[in-house]
Amino acid sequence: MKFRLLFVMLLLCYGMLIVPVAEHMQHRPVEVKLGYLPHPQILKATSGEHASTLAGFFMSRVLFYFGTVIQKLQEHIIVRPEFFNLYKTLQGIVHLDPYNMDAYYFTQATFTWDLGRVEEANHLLKKGLIARSWDPWLPFYLGFNYAYFLKDYQQAAVYFKRAAELSGNPLFANLAARYFYESEQSAFGLVFLEAMIRDAKNPAVRKSYEMRREALLAVINLEQAIDAYKSMYGEGPKRLADLVRLGLLRELPHDPYGGTFYLDTLGKVRTTSNFTKPAKNSQ
Amino acid sequence: MFSLIMALVINNLRAIMRDRVLLAVLAVALVMILLVPVLSSFSMRQVQELAITLSLSTVSGVLLVVTLLLGSLSIWRDVEYRYTTSILTLPVSRMTFLLGKFISISIFLLLCTFVLGVGSSVVISLSAATYPSDIPIQWTNIFFVLLGDFLKYMLLAGFSLLLSSVGTSFYLPFFGTSVVYFCGNASQEVFEYATGEFGQGLGVLTIKAVTMAYYLVPNLAVFDFQVAAVYGLDIAPADVLVAALYAVVYTAILLGLAVFAFNRRQLP
Repeated sequence: MKFRLLFVMLLLCYGMLIVPVAEHMQHRPVEVKLGYLPHPQILKATSGEHASTLAGFFMSRVLFYFGTVIQKLQEHIIVRPEFFNLYKTLQGIVHLDPYNMDAYYFTQATFTWDLGRVEEANHLLKKGLIARSWDPWLPFYLGFNYAYFLKDYQQAAVYFKRAAELSGNPLFANLAARYFYESEQSAFGLVFLEAMIRDAKNPAVRKSYEMRREALLAVINLEQAIDAYKSMYGEGPKRLADLVRLGLLRELPHDPYGGTFYLDTLGKVRTTSNFTKPAKNSQ
Repeated sequence: MFSLIMALVINNLRAIMRDRVLLAVLAVALVMILLVPVLSSFSMRQVQELAITLSLSTVSGVLLVVTLLLGSLSIWRDVEYRYTTSILTLPVSRMTFLLGKFISISIFLLLCTFVLGVGSSVVISLSAATYPSDIPIQWTNIFFVLLGDFLKYMLLAGFSLLLSSVGTSFYLPFFGTSVVYFCGNASQEVFEYATGEFGQGLGVLTIKAVTMAYYLVPNLAVFDFQVAAVYGLDIAPADVLVAALYAVVYTAILLGLAVFAFNRRQLP
């Protein structure tokens, strides 16, 4: 009898405890960590035929880590990403499984737009090019990176041509023809992002692309209004607010990254967020 | 002799089927395979590929556990429980007894490979139907992976029986076979590392030792066709033939050594 009473008491205690525990867990400060990846050569040598499975496991860890970072970003909480560790992990993944498309796709999605590490992304993508010799997406990513980020049009042409040859997709051929024009860089980026969003399955990656697309659309709107202003007055506006005052824009577009658009000294559209960080930090 | 071996095999298989631990392992394996479509859906760009990877890895992992359990709990335990004493008083030679053990383990491994292979094929088809990939599923390659797994674990079972026939407890065959498994997986990579440009800094004796170990330790990379199955790459028929020949010859040598050791063992 005493035992039963004690057991019921324990159940009651648990019932009283579980709600505060759940609330505490929901509001705890989160420090996301990617963790440590053992040396890929040792992993590959010891894992045998399970190397691809290990690569998949580490890839899921990367996705979970990145998903949490993006979630925090949307909540205006800055979690400083472990760039170096992230890159080392991705290098390890492609060493374990050089065919792993998730790793290349993720590298392209994050290391170019979000982290600005285009050279590192290209280095990894070129490794993938050797293994996935049939895949048009890797040369497409490389071509885009060379054209859009590095302005190396000669290299971009080589990779776009390869993507077009491998796939027969007119998109690649069209892009290969368009990248020369400096003035179309924003539109070029938009075409690329639309293609990426169409195929994005992971919600965190898709959200990242959609935010970037929204930002680019805002820039394109502003640039078109500035062009119209120039054709009317022969020179660019002093402030972006002039575009609204003259009715060329109904209102200044919203920066999805939380910043405010402005004109720099050369008349180029900039934003205070720099398209990378939220404007406020609630942590 | 054949009918004697068959009688022993049937008897051994009955005992294996009654083993609840093995049945539990197989049940867990089937649950893991059922989870594959869910787990593979986390992939962004290669759901089908991940489904194949996870299924085949599960099959391989389960076959390893089954091999280790069956091989490590065979000869020494039969000696310990005096089972050999009663069997060997019949007109059954030690070689027949040992071959019976090996064949029954191999048949059970084949059955496991078949059942898990069918389960894997179903979940791979489901995953591929949900998120079709640009790469068509190469069923022949998947069959070759399963065949390679069976041959590899048959060879490991031979190792396990050899160690079990000289050992007096569970530890030597279990840990010995585990070490052989890890070394066998690593031997090709280590050999290529040591004899390639990275190995130029190593001493001549070290390279010779690595080369010697490479030729002695079973090269389990011979049986690994998984990447080709996952990404639809070509598998040359010669690769499969080499794997089959390698497994048969190496296993036969191991069984010969096991018979030699078991014939000289003093039984209670």
